[in-house]
Amino acid sequence: MNPATDELSSVFAALADPTRRAMLDRLRSGEATLNELALPFEMSVQGVSQHLKVLERAGLVTRGRLAQTRPARLSSGGLQAASGWLERYREFWYASFERLDEYLEDLQAREDGS
Amino acid sequence: MTNNRLEIEVPPGEPAVVFRRFVDAPPELVFAVWTEPDHLRHWWGPRQFELVVCEIDPRAGGQYRFVQRPPDGQEHAFHGVYREFDRPQRLVRTFVYAGAPDDESVETVTFQCDGRGTLITGASVFPSFSASEYYAQGGMEVGLRESNQRLDEWLGAITHETNRRQS
Repeated sequence: MNPATDELSSVFAALADPTRRAMLDRLRSGEATLNELALPFEMSVQGVSQHLKVLERAGLVTRGRLAQTRPARLSSGGLQAASGWLERYREFWYASFERLDEYLEDLQAREDGS
Repeated sequence: MTNNRLEIEVPPGEPAVVFRRFVDAPPELVFAVWTEPDHLRHWWGPRQFELVVCEIDPRAGGQYRFVQRPPDGQEHAFHGVYREFDRPQRLVRTFVYAGAPDDESVETVTFQCDGRGTLITGASVFPSFSASEYYAQGGMEVGLRESNQRLDEWLGAITHETNRRQS
């Protein structure tokens, strides 16, 4: 699957679920099999598998091909798109609000002075 | 308690990004500076970016168009339609970047009176945003290590939010 054709929306949709966020958090400490991922969640292996598919489609996780257990690990694809977008979003609003503060101060000072 | 810090998070439950920011001015004034071209030119976008076109039809169903000129001269155009124009508390509009015309997001901004000022909350929901545009802009060279570092920050913010909601 080519991460460049992923949709950013699928990344945000994947991250909107608390269980999937917790799974990503778990994978930060290293790859894990389905059974290992299912352990903390009181969830069936099938349920975890469904979540994993969503993360995989979003380019946030890849699965091993060789071993029968197909361990899952973090992938940079979807995340790069989302975090790049998020960075530009943050920069835009940070800069804009800084200017807005100054502008509002000016406006209100002018009003008080008149 | 309020402060003027910009908060950004990915809320659980929908493909969206949300910002929150407090400003020291009443909602009526904030709504005006948010929707009137003569005001917007003074603050919308980074400082070196000139807002060269700013046209707004201020009503539900009205269109708007912004063109921004960064120092490199490569202009960026944005446009969309206001779905709600509810002075002074709420704006909903579609948002399209002309460079990616098929990707339409929906922005909702609310202005809440909060003591001596206004709490502004803005949500961008993108049902059909394609990542390819951002790959093209951002390049593909960033390594996994840097991505993991970003994921740490990312999940840190998200986890914080989840805990806050649960407590």
